[in-house]
Order: sequence, then structure tokens, then C-alpha cells
Amino acid sequence: MQKLSKRAKNTHSHYTPLYLLSLGLLLSLWQGALWAIKDTPRHFILPTPGAVIERFIRMMTDGTLPYHASVTLTEMSLGLTLGTTTALLLGYAVAHSHILAHMLEPIIVTSQALPTVALAPLLTIWFGPGLTSKVVVCALIVFFPILVNVSAGLQNIASQQRDLFLLLEASRWQKFLKLEVPAALPAFLTGLRVGGTSAAMGAVVGEFVASSEGLGYLVKQGQNLYDTPLMFVAILTLTILTLLVYGTLGLIERLSLKWRFLNNTTIEA
Amino acid sequence: MQTKILIPILLFALLLTACSPSPTGLEPVTLPMGYVANVQFSPFYMAEERGYFKEAGFDVTFDYRWETDGIRLVAAEEIPFTVASGDQVIQARSQGLPVVAIAAWYQRFPVAVVALPEYPLDTPEDLRGLTIGIPETFGASYIGLRALLKAGGLTENDIDLQVIGYTQIAALTAGTVDAIVVYANNAPAILEHEGIAFNALYTADYASLVSAVLATNETMIKEQPERVRAFTQAFLHGLQDVLDEPETAFEICDAYIEGLSENTETQRAVLTHSIELWSAPQLGHFQTESWETAQQTMLDAGLIEKAVPPDTLFTNTFVQK
Repeated sequence: MQKLSKRAKNTHSHYTPLYLLSLGLLLSLWQGALWAIKDTPRHFILPTPGAVIERFIRMMTDGTLPYHASVTLTEMSLGLTLGTTTALLLGYAVAHSHILAHMLEPIIVTSQALPTVALAPLLTIWFGPGLTSKVVVCALIVFFPILVNVSAGLQNIASQQRDLFLLLEASRWQKFLKLEVPAALPAFLTGLRVGGTSAAMGAVVGEFVASSEGLGYLVKQGQNLYDTPLMFVAILTLTILTLLVYGTLGLIERLSLKWRFLNNTTIEA
Repeated sequence: MQTKILIPILLFALLLTACSPSPTGLEPVTLPMGYVANVQFSPFYMAEERGYFKEAGFDVTFDYRWETDGIRLVAAEEIPFTVASGDQVIQARSQGLPVVAIAAWYQRFPVAVVALPEYPLDTPEDLRGLTIGIPETFGASYIGLRALLKAGGLTENDIDLQVIGYTQIAALTAGTVDAIVVYANNAPAILEHEGIAFNALYTADYASLVSAVLATNETMIKEQPERVRAFTQAFLHGLQDVLDEPETAFEICDAYIEGLSENTETQRAVLTHSIELWSAPQLGHFQTESWETAQQTMLDAGLIEKAVPPDTLFTNTFVQK
């Protein structure tokens, strides 16, 4: 176990210079673009990294950015919770009933085919311009990948394992807890990671339609006030938020499935 | 074998056609309108239909992107002209974008606050305590509301302002809000058509603010004033024709607006209300006061950090015949 941890740490520290190189490349490209448009009429379309950092620090210290970020994070969290709960319930039902699966499939697929950007104004009319409409938009975006993964995870349980539980006369609850949950958990957590990053998009779409707070609102405000540094700061913060959510869900996945990583790794003597 | 020779020749011919200038010798111009296709753009449709743009040397394509995009493209010298709100010109110039308004389109500011009959709106003071739905906290709607509040001796703290996006009428009829901020030539016509009674307070009755304009950039004005004049005059000619022949103007709109025939009564009312906002003894002329008032309103609202000299925002040079 110790040797495994050390190897994992070595792997991460091995890649750190590459991450830094990637960041350096991005900043170089940004600076290159600035030089290219410096003496042209387009010079205003790209702010300098310095202007963005200065604005970022200012908005962090005066509390504006933490406030708007917390609004978007709240919408994402509630939307993810609602979407995940719905997906778990529907995914379980669909995996256990062919009739229900065939009945719900067109509705579920249609819900994903509808462009959320077009649906968001309707949701604002139905649920009002407050938090609820944003949570619903998030939930709509989040629930499909989770639903698909949960359903697939449950349906792909090996028949030998099902037969074993049948032979052992396991109760429904025992089958759920000791067979279905472990079987579906990896797929569910993968879907959750995908859904978690999509939740940010849902929150921003909702805020674009009708909001006076949140990071999406800041992007829109920046766009309409020709304040490009503000747009960049909001987008940067949204990116950081999404990466944090992704990282957190990834950590939850690794911790929950520790037994899987151990089983798949050669333990050195 | 013949197909193998023919296809490359056809492709080459297509490429040549794409690269060559317009066979008519007209300059292709994309004109961002700032909103969806609507009867409110009838002056432009009229100018196009009667060939005024072509006489001026332009082959115009109407583009219904947002006005902020149009302003950016003009500032970046990607396109020569755009339709935009006066407050957008102020906003852009305050950020250093070199756009200039060259013709006034609306002479009366089109924003109004509308409420159902149970909320009297006789004076701006009647806005006190109301929950007011607004599309956004920037742009013409916002400064129109701010001007009304100022006229009533009120501030935003005296009302409950709710950002509701472009769902105003639904929010009003559902009772989510007590009043809504709308364009006076649009929402009232819809409410009338639906048989919904309402009270209205018009910003233009209390403040003179610059409204929708035709805009270009400083480079165009400096280096190609004759093109700017030609385009401006073509637009004003179209505007005059609409004021003189509203019925013909409405018929012309049918070719440019999908689904107009499904909604003729309401849209005819929209055009009638719009014409009331466009009429003036001297079409296209700006008043410095309207720019100053708009700019001060935006400063008070925190939309801009500092004022720009009003004479850099607009010019009346090209509206003179």
C-alpha cells in the first residue's frame, strides 16, 4: 500500500512540469495574440493578462467575485442534487423494467434533444426568474449522463453474479446493497463527474436568460458594458469552479472505489 | 472522364465567382440590426426595397445579431455601419471604442413602465413600492427606468427590481411582478391585442434621452465621409417614406419578416406606435441635451465610470442634405 501511494505521488509530481508548461504555452499564445492585434482596430477585443489578473484580485478582495461565484455554485449544487436524484430513481426503474424503459426512452431522449438555450426562457416563465429556473436547467443538463451510466451499470451485472444471489436466496434489499450498488457505482460516479462539469453550463445558461447575480450574469454584464476584463475574470472563475467540482467528484470517485484500484494494481513485495 | 474534367472546372468557376467583386459594382454591406426581424426596421426595409441603398452604392444584407456585436464589429472596422441604441454608443466610447452616431432614428425614447389597472401610474412617484420586472440591468430599458425613478424623486431602493429576462408580459399577467419595463411601441400593442387593460408611464414624458441610432467608426468618418453621407441619406430617405406611407411600409415588411401575416393586427399597431416615436421636423438630427442626459443617467447608475465629451459621441454632419 505504501509503495502504491509513493508510485501514485511520483506520477503526479512527474506531470507537474508538463502542467506548468501547458499554462506557460497558453499565456504565450495570449501574449502573441496581443502583439498581433496591438496596432490594429481590433486591439480592444483582448485584454492583457495583467488587466485580467488585476481585476480578478480587485473583485476577490472587495467580495464581488466570491459572492457571484457562490450564487453559481449554489445553483450548480442544487441542480446536480436534483438531477442526480432523478437520474438514480429513473435509472433504477428503467434498468428493472423493460416496459418502463421503452415508455420513458422517447421522453428522456427528447428532453436531451431540446436545446437548453431555447428551453431556458420557457423555464423562466414557468418557474420564475429566481433560483428555481436555474436549478431546473442545471438538473436537465446533468441528469442524462448519470441516468445512462446508472442504467448501463445495473444492466451489465454479470448473469453469474445474479444467479449466485438467487442461489443464496438473497433478499431484494441484500441484492440491492451487495450486488447492484457495487456494480453500478463505478458507472454512476463517472456519470456524476461528467454531469458535475455540465452543471456549470446549466447555471450559466439560466443566468444568461434572467439573472442579476452569478458568474453567467457577470459574463453578460461584461459583454454589454464592453468590459472585456470582466468577461475574462468571470470565465476564468467559472473554469476554476468547474475544475474544483470535477476534482472533488474525482476524489470522491477514487475514495469510493479504492477497492477497485487496489484490485487492479500489482502490489510489489 | 467528362465528369472528372467538368467538376474541377465548375469548382474553379465557383471560386472565381466568390472572389470577384459584385457584378453590379455595389459594395456589399452587412448591417447588424440589434434585434429580430421586426416591423420596427421598416425604414431600412423601405430603403432597400426602393433601391435607396443601391443608389448610394451599397448592397445591404440585414443581420439580426445583438447590437453589442454590431458595435464591436464597427469599432474593429470589420463592418462600416450598425444600428444600435445611443446608450450603447456611450457605453462603447467610455471603453475607448471609436464609434460615432451619425443619424438619430428614434426621436422619442421608447421605454415605458406598464402595469395592470390595479396599479395607477399617473406620475413617476407611483412607482414607489412596486415590484418591477426588467429584462436586464443595463441598456435602454434600465436607463429608461432610472430616468423615470429620478423624475419621481425615487431611487432603486424605493422599488423591488427583478431581472426577468424577456418574459415581461408573461410575468405581468402571471402576477409575478406588479409592473414591467418595456418598449412603448411593442408591449402595449401586444397587451391591447390580447384585450389586457394596462396603465403606462413613458420615460419620454419626463426625460429626453438619446435612443436608437445609425452608427459608424471614426476611420470611416475621417477617410470616407462621402460613403457615410450616402448611406445615412439612403436610410433617412427610407425613414421619410415610412412616415409618409405607413401602409405601404407595412406591406413591404412582409418580404423581410417571417410569419408577419399571422400577426398583422398587432404588428400594424407596433408600426403605428413606432412611427409616433420617429417623427420629427428634422429627421436624423441629434440634440446634445439628449446625449448629456443619457450619459448622466448612466454615470448615476454606475454603468460608466467617467463621462466622455458629448461632441465625440455623435455628429449631425451627414444628416444635412
